[in-house]
Amino acid sequence: MSDTIELLEAIGQNAALRHASADKLASMLEQAEASVALQAAVAAGDSSLLSGEFGHKLNQVPQITNIPGHEEDEPDDDGDNKPHRPSEPGHTTPHKPSPHTL
Amino acid sequence: MGMTLGSHLTPLARSHIEQADVVFAALSDGIVELWLQRMHPDVRSLQPYYAEGKSRMVTYRQWVELMMTEVRAGKNVCGVFYGHPGIFAWSPHKAIEAARAEGFEAHMEPGISAEDCLYADLGIDPGRFGCQHFEASQLLFYERRIDPAGYLVLWQVGLVGDISLKRFSTGPAYRQALVDVLSADYPLDHEVIVYRGATLPIQQPRVRRMALRDLPDAELTAEETVVLPPGAPLKQDQSMRERLAALDKEASGA
Repeated sequence: MSDTIELLEAIGQNAALRHASADKLASMLEQAEASVALQAAVAAGDSSLLSGEFGHKLNQVPQITNIPGHEEDEPDDDGDNKPHRPSEPGHTTPHKPSPHTL
Repeated sequence: MGMTLGSHLTPLARSHIEQADVVFAALSDGIVELWLQRMHPDVRSLQPYYAEGKSRMVTYRQWVELMMTEVRAGKNVCGVFYGHPGIFAWSPHKAIEAARAEGFEAHMEPGISAEDCLYADLGIDPGRFGCQHFEASQLLFYERRIDPAGYLVLWQVGLVGDISLKRFSTGPAYRQALVDVLSADYPLDHEVIVYRGATLPIQQPRVRRMALRDLPDAELTAEETVVLPPGAPLKQDQSMRERLAALDKEASGA
């Protein structure tokens, strides 16, 4: 059986495969002896079926706060249980230089 | 890392990963993380630092501190983030700022972002009518000026209005508050587009179209983006056009 991660990388890098139809991909995957999970995911158009091979891996995606100005606040030491309030733009705490500045 | 496994990672970004002593990863898909692990023997996921009920700001600070601890230990550190590391991402900017402040060399490599994919998949050129981008909650927390003659792109609508920073989704009532704000500039039957780019190369982009009034009851995840096409025509600035015409006339020596 072919390695699924390698097959996904190969599909992602190949102009003929990246936007190929499910039928064309299915044929390619069958020839490559792809895993049952990968073949099922392509056939159904449902990548969640890859969880049959890799388990359910739900990654969180937010990487920014909703509250501009808040990021300049000092971190809380108590587990950060205090509610946050939006600051007024232009009234943020000035950045404090790191004591380790060289 | 770009958005799509296998398709977007630049040769230079891959080289940074391969040459690092330690790699930290904040990626949008667990399978992409497995792919990254093929490139380096010491990939440390930042995902476990998220937790429901824990301020994401605490999480982001932890990420910076984790990376800086290795930098201070003399390691060559590479932080790998999905999309573009500097777009809608706090920690990468902060880590670079902290490293430089302590006298270390640090820089950011650009990546193909969700925004880039959105333009391609939806056929939008931001230069045509102009395009505003907001983290959706900004429209609730602050008084912002929306220009309905251009595109409006709203990020993280699925958790709009979360002032606690401790949730990964809010709900229909919060999205209704957003719709109430938007209704000052758009009719409720204005078409909105809910978009999610592909993270795996066997996926297609997810594109849903609906009326603005239906947004509160739509199922929305944090990674989905809401696009409002222009809702008003561009308005000519006659006085400025006359001024420019006068300047042209002057310049031509007439």
